[in-house]
Amino acid sequence: MQVETFHPVAWLAWLAAAALPALTTRNPLYLALVLLAAGTDFIALGQRSETAQGWAALVRLGALLWLLTIPFTMLTNHYGQIVLFTLPESWPVIGGPITLESLLYGLTGGLALISLLLAFAVFNLAVDQARLLRMAPAFVYQSGVVAAIAVAFVPQMAASWQSIREAQQVRGHRFRGVRDLLPLILPLLITALERAVQLAESMEARGFGGVQTAAAPRDRLAVQATVLVGLALAGLGLAGLGFWPQHRTPVLAVAALGLALLAWSFWRQGKRVSRTSYRRWYWGRGDRVVLVTGLLAASAWVTVLIARSEWLFYYPYPPYSPWPSFQPILGAAILLLAVPALLVRRPSQELMPIDPS
Amino acid sequence: MIRLDHITYAYPDQKLPTLADFSAVIEPGEFVLVVGPSGSGKSTLLRSLNGLVPHFYGGTWAGRAEVFGRDPLSCAPRGMADLVGFVFQDPEAQFVVDTVEDELVFAMENFGVPVGTMRKRLEEVLDQMAIAHLRGRRIATLSGGEKQRVAIASVLALQPELLVLDEPTSQLDPQAAEEVLVALRHLNEDLGLTIILSEHRLERVLQYADRVLYLPASGEPALLGDPRVIAAQLPWSPPLLDLGRRLAWDPLPLTIKEGRARARDLATRLRAAPQPAATPPRGPESPPLASVRGLHYSYGGRPALRGVSLDVRPGEFVALMGRNGSGKSTLLRQIVGLLKPDQGQIIVQGLDTRNAALGDIIRGVGYVPQDPGALLFNDTVVAELAFTRRGHALIADPAADDRLLSRLGLADEAGRDPRDLSVGQRQRVALAAILVASPQLILLDEPTRGLDYEQKHELAALLLELKREGRAVVMATHDVELVAACADRVALLAEGQIVVDGPAREVMSDSQVFASQINKLFRDPRYLVVDDVLAAAA
Repeated sequence: MQVETFHPVAWLAWLAAAALPALTTRNPLYLALVLLAAGTDFIALGQRSETAQGWAALVRLGALLWLLTIPFTMLTNHYGQIVLFTLPESWPVIGGPITLESLLYGLTGGLALISLLLAFAVFNLAVDQARLLRMAPAFVYQSGVVAAIAVAFVPQMAASWQSIREAQQVRGHRFRGVRDLLPLILPLLITALERAVQLAESMEARGFGGVQTAAAPRDRLAVQATVLVGLALAGLGLAGLGFWPQHRTPVLAVAALGLALLAWSFWRQGKRVSRTSYRRWYWGRGDRVVLVTGLLAASAWVTVLIARSEWLFYYPYPPYSPWPSFQPILGAAILLLAVPALLVRRPSQELMPIDPS
Repeated sequence: MIRLDHITYAYPDQKLPTLADFSAVIEPGEFVLVVGPSGSGKSTLLRSLNGLVPHFYGGTWAGRAEVFGRDPLSCAPRGMADLVGFVFQDPEAQFVVDTVEDELVFAMENFGVPVGTMRKRLEEVLDQMAIAHLRGRRIATLSGGEKQRVAIASVLALQPELLVLDEPTSQLDPQAAEEVLVALRHLNEDLGLTIILSEHRLERVLQYADRVLYLPASGEPALLGDPRVIAAQLPWSPPLLDLGRRLAWDPLPLTIKEGRARARDLATRLRAAPQPAATPPRGPESPPLASVRGLHYSYGGRPALRGVSLDVRPGEFVALMGRNGSGKSTLLRQIVGLLKPDQGQIIVQGLDTRNAALGDIIRGVGYVPQDPGALLFNDTVVAELAFTRRGHALIADPAADDRLLSRLGLADEAGRDPRDLSVGQRQRVALAAILVASPQLILLDEPTRGLDYEQKHELAALLLELKREGRAVVMATHDVELVAACADRVALLAEGQIVVDGPAREVMSDSQVFASQINKLFRDPRYLVVDDVLAAAA
């Protein structure tokens, strides 16, 4: 499979814009629009990716769980004024009026989770996570590589799990209880450990960690001192928020100063590792469109969140109305998220000028 | 130049040193082949060249090493990486990132190579290893041979002086191994790159080597010298060399070409030898132990087996051969009932695998998977046997266990932890853990991976003994010489279909790829192994 992905920064903007509604409102109309927009992108992107099937299964599972929770909420929650029908009071727990409000409540709760899940699925289809991790700045570069390895490790573990299970099955191993897990877990751990050691050896032999230019002792001392002071100030600031809630501004300033010092020392640390990056990201036309639409949608949402947060409020039970409000401007902002789907339809080479060949 | 001076090294917690007072000098541009039985210190020696030993493993080290002007001990592996390229045995476990291009530039990024230079070198190594068509691929989608070539290219990108490879082809099928070796030879001859390579299968590399370094199992001093000279002193050797030594040929032939030239007279004589009396027609054939009929199977829409039919009778030794991905392993897993047919049926000892419980099928069928590590988890070898007995609801029988272990040459290992044993021993423990249930049909998936000559001989002898007891063996393998020595029937798979199924002598002697060395020498179905020739020549 050829690897073609979009610019991760553009899609980070898209992800933020798509996740914001799910995190800040329960209004089913907006959430349904997010679901619609992300779903369109998912279908469009899924055509060019093998991992789409896995994600589709995950989303389906999420949807199934969501559908199962709705009757549960309806049957156990008897508040609300619009009664759909009534079960005999003599039935324990589920007896009583079944209301439209409960139905809506169950519907909206899962909707937020599903749209969040779908947004992440789309992001993963559009962007290669391993490369995203490796874009990390120099001082977290090593953690980035470690995380990338961990991501690649999972499918390998799944494969060895399969072969171990088969090997034990044909020895007559049957799974009856927790104790029977041992013949499966032990070989898995040993295999994983052996593989990890081998990988570590391979990375060592290939100069992982980069060539560190030795720092002058004074320089090193300065960086270490800065880390200490920065940590102390940041901790003081965060603790201070609890102790002196009336002095928010000075306390926050102290915390910010601490964090800034930490960032500076990490940056200094990173400068000492001389490392170059082969992969350069290109902003294709499509990427710019994704970035702009993502930013537009996100900023519209943030503006409303700050200035008109009552637009986003929704709670089906009395004393509030079960009928959600709707602002066309917000709806339009959300629908912007579906724009990437329109771009993908054209031949993919045009849109993914990533390969620097 | 590489100079190793009186090196003595012992791994942590080991009393006996793995390398004892070892000295050698290797000149730039040499192609040195390192041979020796498992556990003789081949890997240790190779790892000392870039400092992985002792930096990565710890242990005690004495002596001085100098590799192209640097001391691996003081530079550490990280500091040697631009001088010594190291390629490991397992193509799966040495990749850090997930696409070919990223993998090739990984080391250069670590060394801060400027982007312009990086691009130039990337193009160079893509061409050197002939992998330009793979550049955008995900590593997981490559074949074993492609993976090893990517691994070699990724260390070449730093333009090392020395390339060290630790059994790079032991996990590959013959074709893929050939690709890798041809690429190495090209690097050595056309670019003058120094190459130090360890390898079990001498027949493939001996002809390319300038010198051979032989590390004996224990105590005896190492030998370094001309391939022909060293080859004459090895305790075991590939069939061609073996024949040459038995017939006292001098000089010893290293390639089939040399062998054919040397054996011209013998070949004429052998061809004239009387045809052996046609084998008497066997009595009424016993009913098959396993019978596969019109088997179709696919993994998630990708067909793996397409219309396979195969009968296995008691006392038969069937070799399944074919490329990686041709369906050999799938067929074995079908026969033992781990997979169920999509279409067609499999009858194993009267049970239809479609509706029989796995627990019933395995009473008569033993399956040894490729990786013995997937099987073994108990603290001792005897506990492994006991575990299988419990699984099969058999009563404990320590006396029988002891007999089985001594037959497999594991009597002294009964109380040891299987994880501490050598690859060959672990393979035999896995076999013991299966044989303890006395299956009539034994299925083996690539049993010789990573085994040296001696271990392979032992395995072959054991399998032949099982066959003589009237059990049937079905073995998926790439190992042509093992098949020539053991199998009486070969089924060749391609793309999920059996393309040929016939007596081993016939199938192997009219094939280019699957002919044994001796057969290539005489091109006569009567001569597959050394003993065939010696018997006829006597």
